[in-house]
Amino acid sequence: MNRFLRIVTLFALFGLVVLGTVYWIGRGSGDIPAASVDFASLDGDQRQEMLERGEWVAHASDCAACHTDPSGGSDLAGGLPMETPMGTIYGTNITPSDDHGIGGWSADDLYRAVAWGVAPGDKNLYPAMPYPSYHQITRADSDALWVWLMAQRPVNKPNRSNDLIFPFNIRPAVTLWNAFFRPDAEPFQPDETPAAQGEYLVNVLGHCGECHTPRNLAYALTDDHLAGEVIEGAYAPDLRPDALARRGWTEDDLVTFLHRGLSPQGVMTFGMFPVLSHSTSHLATDDLEAISSYLTAGQTMTGPQMDKPVAVLSPEGASLYTGLCAGCHGTDGAGQPNSSVRLDVNTTAMYTNPLNLIRVIAEGIPERDLAQGERMQAMPAFDQMLSDQQMTELVNYLRQRWGGQEGDVTAEVVQSAREEGHAAR
Amino acid sequence: MIEKISFSATINGQKVGPMDVPQDLMMVELLQEYLNLTGTRLSCGQGMCSACRVIVDDPAKGTYTVAACVTGVAWLNGKTVRTIEGIAGEDGQGAPLPSAIQQAFLEHFSFQCSYCTPGFVNSATVLVEQLERSPIAADRVEDVVLESLDKHICRCTGYVRYYQAVKDVILSTPGLTHENPVVLERPA
Repeated sequence: MNRFLRIVTLFALFGLVVLGTVYWIGRGSGDIPAASVDFASLDGDQRQEMLERGEWVAHASDCAACHTDPSGGSDLAGGLPMETPMGTIYGTNITPSDDHGIGGWSADDLYRAVAWGVAPGDKNLYPAMPYPSYHQITRADSDALWVWLMAQRPVNKPNRSNDLIFPFNIRPAVTLWNAFFRPDAEPFQPDETPAAQGEYLVNVLGHCGECHTPRNLAYALTDDHLAGEVIEGAYAPDLRPDALARRGWTEDDLVTFLHRGLSPQGVMTFGMFPVLSHSTSHLATDDLEAISSYLTAGQTMTGPQMDKPVAVLSPEGASLYTGLCAGCHGTDGAGQPNSSVRLDVNTTAMYTNPLNLIRVIAEGIPERDLAQGERMQAMPAFDQMLSDQQMTELVNYLRQRWGGQEGDVTAEVVQSAREEGHAAR
Repeated sequence: MIEKISFSATINGQKVGPMDVPQDLMMVELLQEYLNLTGTRLSCGQGMCSACRVIVDDPAKGTYTVAACVTGVAWLNGKTVRTIEGIAGEDGQGAPLPSAIQQAFLEHFSFQCSYCTPGFVNSATVLVEQLERSPIAADRVEDVVLESLDKHICRCTGYVRYYQAVKDVILSTPGLTHENPVVLERPA
């Protein structure tokens, strides 16, 4: 018995040492670079320049995507729910409110939070705050963002507590996650080439990988950078150059898509629609061209291709398309401007994963004010009208006719996608 | 060459077809050009204004409306459909007898030009039939009427009178709300 107790004690001690070591590695933050300016001695022009850069950083980083107030009134007052497999996290108030926001934060505090994920008082942020992407933000951009944030209207709105399941509701435990998955803060050193600027915008400020990069079981980003991922009930597609080329993108169409919210390849929907309104529609053409240049990476982009169907199309699928879709999208899939998208070159049917295609047909899309005056009228929902089997026929028809995909979607896949859609709504 | 399909359906209780029609024919064209049922109104042609909504009675999926301007005959083939011409009853002497919804629209002066009226009648009819199966609380009626008719566009701005008419029908018809149940007469 004594021997057994000794062994258990030894293991317990060993476990504590390992845990302590990991905790020590992931605790707090590392060194932070010195501030880029002396804030006290800024003259009017310098301050104005920082305000403008700070607003640009806020847009490029899409702060409002998570920190907006869903009840309206402020893009920064927090409260937006984000559904994760671990529970619901609510965006926080980042207005300069002393009581409820970040009014008491210094520029160092902001850099530490953004690049290291650690708020004042050594409080861990959950990695829903994309510090694993922001870790390369330059100190100058973080400082400009701080100047801009502190100049915004304070909103005295309390933060809402997160609804996370055990053990994820133990905030200090994020330290253990940080030990394994948090990259060190290393300010990006961009050169002047558009592709390098684009890399900074895509990987750091725009944190595109937070949705488009697959995650591992610990919900950390994997090395399959931008290879596509299902998140919040929708498929964030593969953005690697060969995948973009296969789906018929061009550099110009990517710029148009990010600027206006629509292009021949489709319309911003699901999680990308708020990205358009809060972020990409505010960026200058130079920035969007840099993003496009980085994403396409010199790949030959032939543009939209109207390939022949990959298989003999089923009469059932054709009948469903003609009966329910062709009235708006046309028998040839040509669509109508600002009313119904082209389907012959639309990328949604081109994903191997049929989730988005099924959800769009089942749930429809609300009418949208996109950007730069572009609008799309609503698409109706066909959830009630189509059985799982009919949806399967229609989805396979669209995949085979215009998507270059196999007609291998089953009724079980359709049912599961519908359930995922119901859960995400 | 335009491909054709053999179409048949039950429209307003009458068997139609089989008849050869272009496979991409929209329902509103079939009704107006082939069957001379001109009460269904073509307006936006994009399924947005709901002037052309007709009723589909589907045993498997229930009763619902579709925009006839963008719904093809391919979808309605073999189905049971009601259009505005099939809503009114008959007074026993061969004259049409407006349905409760139609009568209420007349009494409330709900419409002026009437172009949108067939769509409003059909959607309101479906709503009343749904409430016969699943009554609701009286204080929810206004919200449910708005929800059901919200997508219908009226350029004469008759919305208030349309909504009020449907609300009156629902509140005054036994069996549509919890507060106004159907009272069964007991045998003496």
